[in-house]
Amino acid sequence: MVERVGIVGVPPREIIRGLNEAGAEIVDLDEPQISRSLELVDGYLPRVYCAVLRTVVLNATSLDLDRIYIDVGPGKCDCALHVATILNDHLVIPVITTRNQDMEGIGYPLCRTEMPLIDKMSSITRNVQQASPDDAPPPCRPTAGFWGVPPRDFGLLRLFPDTTHIYGWTRCMENKTPADLLLESKMNPDIPTVFFAQSFCAKTALAKHLASRHPQALFLDCDVTASSSAKAKIEAFFELSGIAVRK
Amino acid sequence: MILADFGTSYSKILDMAKDSSPQILATSKLPSAFKADLATGHNAARRSRTSINELTALARGGEQLIEDSEYVLLDCGSRDIKYIRFSDNRVEDMGWNAECGASMGFTIELLARYYDLDYTKIAAPDSGFSITCGVLGMSNIFDAVIAGESETEAVAKFVRGIARNAYRFAGSPDRLYLSGGLCDNPLFVASFPCQVIPLGRYVLLEGLKATLAGKIIPERRGEEN
Repeated sequence: MVERVGIVGVPPREIIRGLNEAGAEIVDLDEPQISRSLELVDGYLPRVYCAVLRTVVLNATSLDLDRIYIDVGPGKCDCALHVATILNDHLVIPVITTRNQDMEGIGYPLCRTEMPLIDKMSSITRNVQQASPDDAPPPCRPTAGFWGVPPRDFGLLRLFPDTTHIYGWTRCMENKTPADLLLESKMNPDIPTVFFAQSFCAKTALAKHLASRHPQALFLDCDVTASSSAKAKIEAFFELSGIAVRK
Repeated sequence: MILADFGTSYSKILDMAKDSSPQILATSKLPSAFKADLATGHNAARRSRTSINELTALARGGEQLIEDSEYVLLDCGSRDIKYIRFSDNRVEDMGWNAECGASMGFTIELLARYYDLDYTKIAAPDSGFSITCGVLGMSNIFDAVIAGESETEAVAKFVRGIARNAYRFAGSPDRLYLSGGLCDNPLFVASFPCQVIPLGRYVLLEGLKATLAGKIIPERRGEEN
């Protein structure tokens, strides 16, 4: 019988390789997997909490899983550590914490290629489930930048041009080095860049700080869904920077 | 060619074929079949053939009206507040607050009607309420009146609080260009702790005119990174 394993964040490559070799089905608990209200997790977490981790708890308490790996520490966040404690107390399946400090990067070709940003982001998050990457797509010259984590609502990414390069933790994800703060802090001052973080996430501080040092930046945080004003800010930012937005 | 800035409370309409000033109409009184050629604002996509978003219109309007190369332009609307900061003739930062800054202009107008106040005759107070939302901030007024302050004093403190909140939202600049109907409210303008240059309520229409003239910035590409 195929084992069904939930993962949170980017567990160490060794763990993923073992799951791949065992033929396990991997479920990314960071992403919405079921269409149920996030309010169902109010019994476990405060309402004012990272929407990605609220999604993790909703998935973990709703899906039929055999075990869960939650990456905590410098490659993820303290909030994930506390979520692991909560899930461990409430679930009967093993909830295993990991501390991914892999520093051997495999590259980030998806972050630099020409492709709709939603497809790019989906490919990167899907690749977390594979120890070995697919073939590398060719790079393009960037016209815009997205810095940050994969948002809870991918609809936020719809307005970005296909020639958007990805920076921040998402780049670390593709590189399979989620704790690489140097890589996470990298940005391109030549292109207008949206610095994004989930509301109530510690990374909002880094996003805001880097945005203040970038010559053409928009700092943006969103909670569960991207509001119309958040989308309008992205649209105006690119329009006023001379970048054609996707409609 | 009809240009329109559809505000939540008021719509500003300019018929380019007529040599006249823009018209201001209560948005609720607009005929349902009315359609502009180019518009921005509330329901602009539905009410016009072509629309641009309000931040874009604000920024382009600012470029037309302001000669400085570095400035902050704040638009205080009925339902929301938004700002654009230009540096070296480029947009450096922007913000749009439709949630926590909600209903500020609307609430100021509502209070004047409710208490029968004339904002041109009220001096800016030395202190005010700490307010981040027009609706939630109203309880401060009721509390102050219960505590013995006059309704006029309490509303003045409320308006000052709203101005200070908008000022902080815009990044606390030394000088601020102000857009929107609240430019005509001397109490509101005097409540900012910085130099304020009111531009009036047609800044977004100016942005539409600039858009019509086709002033588009060419796309740039950076190095691979």
